[in-house]
Amino acid sequence: MSATEAAAKTGAVSVQNVRKFYQRDSMQIKVLDGLNLEVPPGEFLALMGPSGSGKTTLLNLIAGIDRATSGRVVVAGTDLGPLSEGELAKWRSRNVGFIFQFYNLIPVLNAVENVELPLLLTSLSRRERRERAMTALRIVGLSDRYKHYPRQLSGGQEQRVAIARAVVTDPTVLVADEPTGDLDAQSAEEILDLMQTFNKDFGKTIVMVTHDPRAAVRAHTQRHLEKGVLTN
Amino acid sequence: MKFAPLILKHLRKNWLRTLSTVLAMAVCIFLICTLQTVVDAVNYGLSLGNASRLVTRHYVSLVFNLPNSYKNKIAAIPGVQNTTIVNWFGGMYRGDMKYFFPNMAVEPERFMEIYPEIMVPEDQKQAWFHDGRGCIVGRKLADKWGWKVGDHFQLESFIPPYRVGKPFEFIIDGIYDTDTVKYPGTDLTAMYFNYKYLYEATGERAGIGTITVSIDDPKNAGRISKAIDAAFENSDVQTKTETEQAFRASFIAMAGNLALLLNGIGLAVAFTILLVTANTMSIAVRERQQEIGVLKTLGFPSGLVMALVLIEALLLGLMGGALGLFFAGGAIHALPSVPFIGDVVRQFPGLGLSPKIVSYGLGAALLLGLLAGLVPAVLAYRARITEVLRQV
Ligand SMILES: Nc1ncnc2c1ncn2[C@@H]1O[C@H](COP(=O)(O)OP(=O)(O)O)[C@@H](O)[C@H]1O
Ligand SMILES: [Mg+2]
Repeated sequence: MSATEAAAKTGAVSVQNVRKFYQRDSMQIKVLDGLNLEVPPGEFLALMGPSGSGKTTLLNLIAGIDRATSGRVVVAGTDLGPLSEGELAKWRSRNVGFIFQFYNLIPVLNAVENVELPLLLTSLSRRERRERAMTALRIVGLSDRYKHYPRQLSGGQEQRVAIARAVVTDPTVLVADEPTGDLDAQSAEEILDLMQTFNKDFGKTIVMVTHDPRAAVRAHTQRHLEKGVLTN
Repeated sequence: MKFAPLILKHLRKNWLRTLSTVLAMAVCIFLICTLQTVVDAVNYGLSLGNASRLVTRHYVSLVFNLPNSYKNKIAAIPGVQNTTIVNWFGGMYRGDMKYFFPNMAVEPERFMEIYPEIMVPEDQKQAWFHDGRGCIVGRKLADKWGWKVGDHFQLESFIPPYRVGKPFEFIIDGIYDTDTVKYPGTDLTAMYFNYKYLYEATGERAGIGTITVSIDDPKNAGRISKAIDAAFENSDVQTKTETEQAFRASFIAMAGNLALLLNGIGLAVAFTILLVTANTMSIAVRERQQEIGVLKTLGFPSGLVMALVLIEALLLGLMGGALGLFFAGGAIHALPSVPFIGDVVRQFPGLGLSPKIVSYGLGAALLLGLLAGLVPAVLAYRARITEVLRQV
């Protein structure tokens, strides 16, 4: 097994001297300016910092849904820079699971259909897709709600469905942007428990953006971002 | 199609919007198909009108005859190819109007030259040419009365000069058919006999009812008609000449203009509906920005996301098309009873939802869906994840 393949299996994240500028009218906003970050495989990292410090921007770069202005982003053994849009989309579908603050379930699809969604891009049969989606729902404790639509679920349940959707393709890296930001304390604890499980028992590398200290303490490592610069 | 639930569930969730869009498209397809059928029927009618034959008659009325001398004068007019006398005999079968069928005295040889749609086997034709009391009858007429070649029957005219005290006796020399493809609309219930029989039986008192004139080129119909009428302008008996189907032609031209107008309206309606549907689709897709962002985040390629939006639009078009065709089918069958238009479309063979109209309608429906879905689909294609999913 080559080093790259090993990295792919383990889901390491390497952000090297990355700059990210936004152009708004004639103004250039320098969100990230020469940022370096190494996340070893199997890490559970909490990314903290005030609003507007660039946390989401950094997470998007790691997850391959946005591109750095310069610098290198290598995730799970792949340098994301040279990939085309199509290749990047394919890479995301295989390597990254997404957990959003507002769950982002598709309202017209029920729980199991939402979880199945990423599997539609695979060559799995209808039955295999359904089985895997049901397994993921069982792990998050919602197999009895598989026919429920998002509007029929509580916020915590919706986020659990979203987590099932994030892990159903068995990606090596999970990214979460304020996953407990919209939840009550009780549900937030359940979500964090789940994330810890996926980190410990399934070895997923997790990068979680949060400014909730109760969430941050669940991670192995906390990094602070301030005005685009990591301060610890 | 594993993506079907995603599309269908959107259509079902917004069923009111789906329904109104489908109905709007259905109205559009209904109009297009029904109007196209009318236009086809009108064009067909125009193609039927034989403009290469003129009919000359008494200027005042059909009940007055022309002098026998006119025939040769007309034949001498430039552009005239052939002529035959055609006299409406007004003969009643079994002395009763209820058994009526058209019966005409003609000059057999010339008549057969001028009317290629009247088709008689050669031997029967020759028999007729040489038989003073012979006649030919249409296939449908023969079938109705069970007539065969060689049968006899009698007719008695209700027109005074032709009432000679006893019925006219006829022998069936031939039964004529036609080529319904080449000459649709040919009357197969008529009977034709030799003018000479009429002329002699009336003591040479029978004049000429009408003269059918074949001309070299339909384009010259107007000029030759005028030349014929001009030739008798200063005579005691003036003539009126028009194309054989002049009335029908002018009538159809009027219907044609109407059809054109209706088609214009149909197109305007279609265009309006297109704008409305396209707008509705755009709104539907804009409301779904977040979903599009999620799909792309999960790795759905932009092309697939675009295809999903397009397929949804095409599906709406297809449903609208099917519904529109359903209603158009009903309307087309009802067309013949519509005043004015009915007269034109009635002779159109196989009036109904023809394969041509069905494919035309479905094609238009798919095009409508495609056009309506195009802008939203491109928007979906272009949507950038970081922009549509940005939270505060
Ligand atoms: N698409 C964009 N266009 C312009 N400016 C942006 C865009 N996305 C983020 N920004 C700016 O970049 C900065 C960092 O944003 P973000 O990464 O969302 O911060 P955080 O997630 O830490 O709150 C903010 O000033 C924000 O306004
Ligand atoms: Mg943020």
